[in-house]
Amino acid sequence: MAGALTERDFVEKLGKAGFEEIELHQREPVSVDDLALYPLFTDEIIELMRSLLPPDRLQAVATSVIVTAKRRTGDLAP
Amino acid sequence: MHADDVKAIVREAYGGIVSSTEAIAHKLYSSQELSRVPRSAIDGALGVGNHLRFARIEVGETILDLGSGAGIDSILAAHRTGPTGRVVALDFLPEMLERTAAAAAEANLDNVETLEAEMEAILLPDSSVDHIISNGVINLSPRKRRVLAECARVLRPGGKLSVADLTVDDEELPPEILTHPATWAG
Repeated sequence: MAGALTERDFVEKLGKAGFEEIELHQREPVSVDDLALYPLFTDEIIELMRSLLPPDRLQAVATSVIVTAKRRTGDLAP
Repeated sequence: MHADDVKAIVREAYGGIVSSTEAIAHKLYSSQELSRVPRSAIDGALGVGNHLRFARIEVGETILDLGSGAGIDSILAAHRTGPTGRVVALDFLPEMLERTAAAAAEANLDNVETLEAEMEAILLPDSSVDHIISNGVINLSPRKRRVLAECARVLRPGGKLSVADLTVDDEELPPEILTHPATWAG
């Protein structure tokens, strides 16, 4: 999650890589409670988030997005 | 953080998972979808969304599952592309690919093959894939531009990309959280 992009940067990078018809279908806030379901997030980091983040941020630490796109039919070179 | 350090953290974190993540599977997938997936793949679900609900998978497609993990999305995609299509499950962890292969065998699917590779260097020819699916892994790469360029390279012109992934707001998290190894792996 620490390396995740903003939605804007993600879409921009898709376009630069050669994708078009980029559509965002779903945006779901990811809370600290959601992250706690993943064993990758240790008890230590979950507790750290709970202690450092304001209540509204605990409900939306990140966003889960679903994106579809098509590979451009022309040359991939920019 | 250096790219190699990030990869090492991700490799260690994913390789060390022993507990079931069934709760994640039940949160993301319908009971109808899960009824077609072996228990081992359900127990290893680590996705962040159900992109397959929006993926227009057609019968006969060659599908690449980028970062297949324990194989839940590979199994579901293999059912949808059918025996005339195939799913290439790519992961950089051999233990994950073993789980995917075992799940495919248990589901009696012979159209799932595994590929040990990094998503920054996909070991497939140009324009050899009809559809790429990926669930919660692109954010883990320290070289996302390279990953997306590789996706474009292996997709045929007009080929489809269906992705679920995490994004963040412009407002950054506190440094104590951002620099913690667990937030680079998760």
